[in-house]
Amino acid sequence: MNRNARKWWRMNKQKLQQQQQMPESSTQIAKELAANEAVLRELYTNCTDVVYRSFLIGGSTKALVIYIDGLSNTEELDRSVLSSLMNGKISKETHARKLVEKTISVSKWREITTLEECIESISNGCPVLLIDQQEAALSFGLEKWEKRAIEEPVAEGVVRGPREGFTESLNVNTSLLRRLIKSPALKMELMQIGGYTKTKVILAYIDGIVDPTLVTELKARLNRIDIDGVLESGYIEELIEDHPSSPFPQILSTERPDVACGNLLEGRVVILVDGTPFILIAPTTLIALLQSSEDYYQRSFASTAIRLLRYVFTVMSFLLPSLYVALITFHHEMVPTSLLISMASSREAVPFPALVEALIMEITFEALREAGVRLPKQVGAAVSIVGALVIGQAAVQAGLVSAPMVIVVAITGIASFMIPHYIAGIAIRLLRFPMMFLAGTLGLLGIMLGIIATVVHLCTIRSVGVPYLTPFAPMKGKELKDALVRAPWWMLNTRPRLTGESNMYRQAQGLKPDPSKGGDTS
Amino acid sequence: MLEEGEKMQGNEKISAGQMGLLMYFAISASAVTVVPGITGKYAQNDLWLSPIWASLIGYVTVYIACRLHQLYPKQSIIQYSQTILGSFLGKVTSLFFIFFYLHLTGLIVRAYAEFVVGNFLTRTPISVVMISMVMVTALAVRGGVEVLGRTAQLFFFMFLIPVALMPTLLGSMKLQYLFPILEHGLKPTFLGAASPQAWFSEIFIMAYFLPLVSNQEKSMRAGMWSVFGTMMLLTIINVFILLVMGRQAGDFLYPVMVAFRYISVADFFQNLDSVVMGIWIIGLFQKISVFYYASVIGTSQLLGLRDYRPLVLPFGILVVIMGFWSIPDQLHVSAFDTFAFPFYGPLVQTVFPLLLLILAFWQKRGQASHAGRTALTDDTNS
Repeated sequence: MNRNARKWWRMNKQKLQQQQQMPESSTQIAKELAANEAVLRELYTNCTDVVYRSFLIGGSTKALVIYIDGLSNTEELDRSVLSSLMNGKISKETHARKLVEKTISVSKWREITTLEECIESISNGCPVLLIDQQEAALSFGLEKWEKRAIEEPVAEGVVRGPREGFTESLNVNTSLLRRLIKSPALKMELMQIGGYTKTKVILAYIDGIVDPTLVTELKARLNRIDIDGVLESGYIEELIEDHPSSPFPQILSTERPDVACGNLLEGRVVILVDGTPFILIAPTTLIALLQSSEDYYQRSFASTAIRLLRYVFTVMSFLLPSLYVALITFHHEMVPTSLLISMASSREAVPFPALVEALIMEITFEALREAGVRLPKQVGAAVSIVGALVIGQAAVQAGLVSAPMVIVVAITGIASFMIPHYIAGIAIRLLRFPMMFLAGTLGLLGIMLGIIATVVHLCTIRSVGVPYLTPFAPMKGKELKDALVRAPWWMLNTRPRLTGESNMYRQAQGLKPDPSKGGDTS
Repeated sequence: MLEEGEKMQGNEKISAGQMGLLMYFAISASAVTVVPGITGKYAQNDLWLSPIWASLIGYVTVYIACRLHQLYPKQSIIQYSQTILGSFLGKVTSLFFIFFYLHLTGLIVRAYAEFVVGNFLTRTPISVVMISMVMVTALAVRGGVEVLGRTAQLFFFMFLIPVALMPTLLGSMKLQYLFPILEHGLKPTFLGAASPQAWFSEIFIMAYFLPLVSNQEKSMRAGMWSVFGTMMLLTIINVFILLVMGRQAGDFLYPVMVAFRYISVADFFQNLDSVVMGIWIIGLFQKISVFYYASVIGTSQLLGLRDYRPLVLPFGILVVIMGFWSIPDQLHVSAFDTFAFPFYGPLVQTVFPLLLLILAFWQKRGQASHAGRTALTDDTNS
């Protein structure tokens, strides 16, 4: 079945191209303007948003401007192209390139010779100028469409740190990167993915820091993609990751330019996708998913404390409900007597076994969380009040669940939202459910087996060749300074070693400030 | 780095440190539960001395394994035994070694399951405990030696938690239990060392891992360190249970568990034996996966397979079956540990490799002198 589908896809490549209504790449622009116009009108049948404007250059030569309404800056087009061409004194034989040099005052332009380029340029919002008796057309970089303003990213808030977030448009995003890293060593390579959507994808990296094999590998993986459309970077993420059957995200996605730049400076590759504020960073590690950009802006003591707190609560969000179930069901002797008595008395009226109780509560919590995301803002508040009342107060009073279970679920919920990257939080929250089953059947033994299986899985996966648990396993002592703790900046001399050994040091040695060192001037 | 697709066993490498940790787990994980009780029976209040004598055989075994590997680099015992003993005898030896490790893996799984069922999950069928553990280890073995090495690094610190918990019992420790030292001379401590030395000889399993070590020059040191580490752990644990329980230590099957049951800190942390059990499960997971891996990789080398992964699941079933076949109940497990294994283990894992090493030296010398002679004649001819 699978093989057949692949064969069919390959055989119908030509047909697919036709379905997508793209001319063959070799079709040259004809000499006659009328012929070109006919072809283009044929391709753009029933496309009411395409505008054709024919006019005469210098009162004699026939010419045609084509653009898509709403994608191009028409004011600029009228002023710099149309009016200057129509009013200027231009002889019939003037070559297209000469026109740009003398008459048209548009800074970004391109000469195109094939119809395919023509279509591409029009779809991207660049008006195309076709001139009679000339085999070259001109494309002007006058794209302009409605963009969302740069806003603070919603999912990754910080107290201290830049508040800019990426937007949906690619050139805004690249400019955000370039504003932070001005060196020409920041390279951005353009690719197009998606048969219909022709989505622009940019691979950004810093030459000299990144391991070149990493770039080649990612480029090869991106080139392998053959899909009809890419609407979000999630498509790309799932198509290039190493272990598709793992619940853990192996590619980091972020909305923050500062996170992207920090990772670029550590030798990672950033993939920007047009149409989404979420960019991809590869390779990544589990630890990177548990770190926030703010860790690097706060004082190192605070960051270290917060990091450790985050690690503890990450483990809690994974284990707490199952530990509770195991204690209640199997290991009463581990609970101090007084606590056991108060727990037992609150569970007295509860008609369910601990496992069922935990499952009911956790699933309800997940439902509330999901509903909270989906509901319109006006209704959201009502739902959260009802949710809090129903799964908190009322459920306990009705004797359906015990109060300690509500506390456990609440702590688990809070703990899972402490993980700075939402996607990683979901992975860990999902794994909580099999863990609860193990705890309910085999007690602490089941939990241990679950932990071992999870750790084995984490040790197996790699992100673009980098082991997922670096720097803990394989242990890299030098990198623990930015994993277990967050050492002060003057100690973070070396970059993390990802795949190669290029450009190890990121700063001068001995930057530790000290009054005796003073400044250069003293 | 990017060879994900063509992950063959030849490409996987671990560091010497990772191998050392794996070996550390391979010896100590089951030793800490059972050995103190057996040692205590013979050595009474001198039981803390026995691991020191016992570790000597460990150092010897590490030396033998490393020398053999130096003589035949990039080969495991399955491969060089065929070079040393000839094709037929070598194959028979390899087959014997594979069955030895398969049997041992089964035994370890059985002993682990008896321990869990006997102490914690008294109403759970033993097959559930055995099969669940073998399934998890199969996952790790399928992942390959790199995964084993990484899990060992992660779990190492967890495995030391019981040692860190010991100071909480300082209040109930009595120093006078230590005395009189060597009341009956050294002989009881040697007798007490009989059982642990069998465990120390298990480090010969590093012969399967040596070809996979990336920094070869450090592998002998890593092996020596893991023997030393195990000796320290056993000594500390023996001292600890001696100070807590005195001469009674030998009367319990699992004295360490009993000692940890005494723990009570601030009326909140009590009965931490479940926690200790949890951590020992991790250690035993490492131990079983090392032995499991050795038997699987040995078989794949004997059969000349390119990939060992297809063998993992059938061997898992075999391991469970071996666990049932080899021993009828808990009594026989401890009888085997006390009476059979002290002879059986070192015989196969230290004495036999020593014979192999001597044979190999003799062969190599023969070859060298032969080569020298031909070189000499070549010289005179030219």
